[in-house]
Amino acid sequence: MLPSYYEFHNPVKIMSGHKALDNLPSELEMLGAKCPMVITDKGVAGAGLVKIFTQSFDSSGMTIGAIFDDVPPDSSSEVVEKITAIFRKNGCDSLIALGGGSVIDTAKGVNILVTENSDDLLQFSGAEMLKKKMKPLVVIPTTSGTGSEVTVVAVISDIKRNLKMAFSSTRLLPDIALLDPRMTLTLPPKMTAATAMDAMSHAVESFINLQKNPMSDAYALAAIEMIRKNVINAVSDGNDAKVRLAMANASTMAGIAFSNSMVGVVHSLGHAAGGICHIPHGVAMNIFLPFGLEYNMSKCRDNIGRLLLPMAGADVYARTPESRRAEQMIHYLRELRKALNDLCGLPINLKQAGVTEDKLPQIAKAAINDPSIIMNPREMDENDALEILKKAFA
Amino acid sequence: MEVQYRPIVPGVKRLKLTVIQIVFLVLGRAFQCASQHDEEIRKEIEPWPEGFTLMMKVMPDGPSMGLEKKDNMLLFRGSQLKSANLEIYFRNVESAFMIMTPQMGSPQAFAEKRMSIKGDLGIATVFTRTLVIVMATLYPEIIVKKLVKRVPPLTLKRAGLRVWLYTFGILLGR
Ligand SMILES: [Fe+2]
Repeated sequence: MLPSYYEFHNPVKIMSGHKALDNLPSELEMLGAKCPMVITDKGVAGAGLVKIFTQSFDSSGMTIGAIFDDVPPDSSSEVVEKITAIFRKNGCDSLIALGGGSVIDTAKGVNILVTENSDDLLQFSGAEMLKKKMKPLVVIPTTSGTGSEVTVVAVISDIKRNLKMAFSSTRLLPDIALLDPRMTLTLPPKMTAATAMDAMSHAVESFINLQKNPMSDAYALAAIEMIRKNVINAVSDGNDAKVRLAMANASTMAGIAFSNSMVGVVHSLGHAAGGICHIPHGVAMNIFLPFGLEYNMSKCRDNIGRLLLPMAGADVYARTPESRRAEQMIHYLRELRKALNDLCGLPINLKQAGVTEDKLPQIAKAAINDPSIIMNPREMDENDALEILKKAFA
Repeated sequence: MEVQYRPIVPGVKRLKLTVIQIVFLVLGRAFQCASQHDEEIRKEIEPWPEGFTLMMKVMPDGPSMGLEKKDNMLLFRGSQLKSANLEIYFRNVESAFMIMTPQMGSPQAFAEKRMSIKGDLGIATVFTRTLVIVMATLYPEIIVKKLVKRVPPLTLKRAGLRVWLYTFGILLGR
């Protein structure tokens, strides 16, 4: 069904496939960039990816302004300020984020400071606080899950002031998302599984919530099917470049979907659990997804039912009567979680993830103040949140 | 003879603007009043910093409704505020009219980008919940249930508040 009105926006150029990296220098030139600064982390550098990256600039005539490889697992304003100083000192004119969610968010933060010529991120936090056109930003994801290469948001913590700053603006959208299979080959199995389930949750939530639209639906359906067909292989044999590239594509498609239709209670609970108990985001998504769907069932049974097709394939979909499709969709989701749990130990409940029961009320309280709750089909209050958490506990 | 091309000066949607202005006045007073009497609203706004301001505004320079937190209540500031810590924009007069009359609820309005937020999204989330309570106090369930995802219970106290609002509350803002 068509919404009475909707908008869909994705100006990010996708460059995907074999030796994609080697096309980057000429692409940067077209963006008017002459001296890009690279932002990455020790894990990425340690896996040899920075080396592959720099080699792709050989014989291109383009100088890399600087490579900062010390981004912490949780992006912080201190690091953003440090990188900004290097960017200015070396006369850089563009940014390349080579890494996962934290690296990408950090790069978005640096772009805010260098564009606004400021040293204080806090004054730009919140929605639509950015007015100037930003410097060119290229994102090369090394995980397949966050979708940050195509989203308008960034989260950066201010450790001194004990704040988590959220930024949201279409200006934060990168110019290019570059998907090179070489960049995700070394991702360990459990991380592969967790990030894949993050992508899965983006696609699924975007398909059932209030801001869904025909464009985001198309991306969501394609993403779910691609994840279902490749995730087990990606976890069991990480060296398969084709499978890795498929996962990277699925993650980006899921990112485009949710960037245009938002997420829901699965993310509200996941953000809260992450903030309070430090569960990795992908692990939380894997735990909460089936419970979030069951919770929303009364409001969007048809939409959940439609997801059985990408989730289980045409045969299963065709032989399942319409009235049973939603339940079957959740059943197949649970089967997938079980398979991943057997393969790499990805937790399927909060207890396995190391959460203690006394933390649940606190998580419930935080979850209902997470902005992702606004577009969820069903209004979740604190009691509802606590009920879901109890079910997801063990 | 040569055809003359001239710029077209836009008209003014006077009637709709007036209606929006009146609804802003009623809503603003209702907020001020409910924030003194409704326990749930008081609990929601408690964590906001003292002096926190928020504003609903029709783009680009239409009517606005300002609220300021003082002594754990929301003070109605009319259209005095030029900017606020949290700003909720209606994209144009038509959007504002649709939402204020009230033919469309805020979840749908956000989904359809007829209403947008500048500022802290966490506080905006809390504010939309208080807005739902105020709406449910002002309007009968038959209207409210089309606008919100879940209608807050019309407790005896809230029913009393409704009567108070329509007799003296909106006039006095207390
Ligand atoms: Fe996510």
